[in-house]
Amino acid sequence: MANIDGLTEKMLRGFAARTSRRSLFGMLGGVLAGASSLPLLPVARAADAPDPAADPKSGQQPPVYSGNPQDPGNQASCDYWRYCAIDGSLCACYGGTVNACPPGTEMSPITWIGTCRNPADGRSYIVSYNDCCGGVLWGRCNCQRNEGDRPVVRPQNDNEITWCFGTKSQSYTCTVSIILGAAEPEVHPAHR
Amino acid sequence: MSPIKPRTAASVILAAWVSTSAPAAPRFANPLPAGQIPNVLTLPVPYPKGWVFLDYASDRIEIRDVGSDARAVKGQVQARDSTTLLVPDGRNEFYTADTVWSRFTRGTRTDYITVYDKKTLEPTGEIVLPGGKRALITAMQGMFEFTDHERLGLVFDFTPASSVTVVDLPGRKVLGSIDIPGCSLIFPSGERGFFTLCSSGTMLSLKLDAQGRVIDRAESARFNDLSDNPLFTSSTVIDGVRYFVTMRGDVQPIDGRAEIAKVLPSWPLVSPAERAAHWQPAGWQVVTSDGHDTLYVLMQANAHEGTQKDPSQEVWVYDVRSHRRIRRLHLVRPGASIALTHADQPLLVVQSYVASKKGGELGDGRIDVYDPRSGALLRSLNTPGFHTRMLIEPVR
Repeated sequence: MANIDGLTEKMLRGFAARTSRRSLFGMLGGVLAGASSLPLLPVARAADAPDPAADPKSGQQPPVYSGNPQDPGNQASCDYWRYCAIDGSLCACYGGTVNACPPGTEMSPITWIGTCRNPADGRSYIVSYNDCCGGVLWGRCNCQRNEGDRPVVRPQNDNEITWCFGTKSQSYTCTVSIILGAAEPEVHPAHR
Repeated sequence: MSPIKPRTAASVILAAWVSTSAPAAPRFANPLPAGQIPNVLTLPVPYPKGWVFLDYASDRIEIRDVGSDARAVKGQVQARDSTTLLVPDGRNEFYTADTVWSRFTRGTRTDYITVYDKKTLEPTGEIVLPGGKRALITAMQGMFEFTDHERLGLVFDFTPASSVTVVDLPGRKVLGSIDIPGCSLIFPSGERGFFTLCSSGTMLSLKLDAQGRVIDRAESARFNDLSDNPLFTSSTVIDGVRYFVTMRGDVQPIDGRAEIAKVLPSWPLVSPAERAAHWQPAGWQVVTSDGHDTLYVLMQANAHEGTQKDPSQEVWVYDVRSHRRIRRLHLVRPGASIALTHADQPLLVVQSYVASKKGGELGDGRIDVYDPRSGALLRSLNTPGFHTRMLIEPVR
């Protein structure tokens, strides 16, 4: 599996790099258009308001914060910035984290890709949504966010597929959200 | 269960005597009749055309009466993962394609088609699909389809290499597999064939022989702008022409009357002013028709990147010949999937749920039933415990 993983990772990062150049303008355009029509992004409001889930008597899913001001938001909530193209269950609610699968599952090396804007540093990041497979059946902390999601005809941008490939089981448990890198800010005029 | 012991039976009789020793209610002269054991219902075949199959995708497939105020669940069959349904007109059976693991979420994987008897809902046959390659994707149209007059079943496979498994359904056997590299989903065409949508923006048409082997193929020019204006994979057929809608609000008809399908000219659903106001199709099963001349499309106001699969507030109704909009229906709750029943007086069936961008706990969904002419809400059905996408397949 290690060889397949390494190969896949190379392919994935290569794809991510190409995607960042080719479609960054379109993606940034969408983000900027959204920002101009929505003066207060939901993430900004969430950061300002006290989180009721933080109350230990709230009975709600406990929030998870990075503690890093450059990576703001509750990683156990759908509106966390890195979940902009997620469709599934958050691993942070299953004993995993934003970027680690829960114990007893296996991380699929083959994934779908999104581009999400970090509200703290204003950068767009290429995000890999790796599914964790073979554990409990999904159902907790379900999220449906579809920024940049495209139909299954373009599989690498589709979040409806169970991305459990190269794993012992293809039964879906949850999804993590791993930064592959910042999208390159320069857009060549030829691509506009 | 162990038989009742004499001592226990005596105490039951004593308890019954004690409870009946109270004064009898004079309004009821006779006790209720004893029930019959065992007692299992069957369904009338053919099913009434006010019934629909509701595909809860990875939970169950439910047969529900939407055509009467009883709103009853008529029956259910179990589903496990990305389960898809095929219901033939000409046979008293239907088929589901599903995937299970021997230890529930792990162990040996089995992909299989189950044959169900329409009257009893008993599984009467099974066809195991080889290779562990059936596509595990939220159930959508194009994953399990008929061709050759309902004889062949076509199953979409994704590993992530794409292929199609060809099955002889009455013969209960797998005939073979067809590679469709870079392409996805199956849309039947002609007598014995299908077309599939490709990641290059083209469409590949395949003509098959009786054994399911490819005897002709043709790829169209690029027409599907997957970055900026992709076709929704939902579609509806009128007179052999399949109508797709696009994310930005165009209709893309594809003539599937011959095996080698043809891309027809597209036309807009929205005026320039409506386009400027960001009216766009949005939802899951976003388009349906009456099968004659009228198209129904779920439409969302203020649509933007990320809302393309959210429920929509309205259904816009079009004449496919004149391309004119003839009605706008305002939904009482935003809808994600729509379908029209095949009754003489069709009903518009709308699945709604609350899309959550924050908490991850989605509200229970509803099935709302409308008069498609007046837009009046006729009845509303609960879908307990259901939180996400659904496919609706009205009984033919």
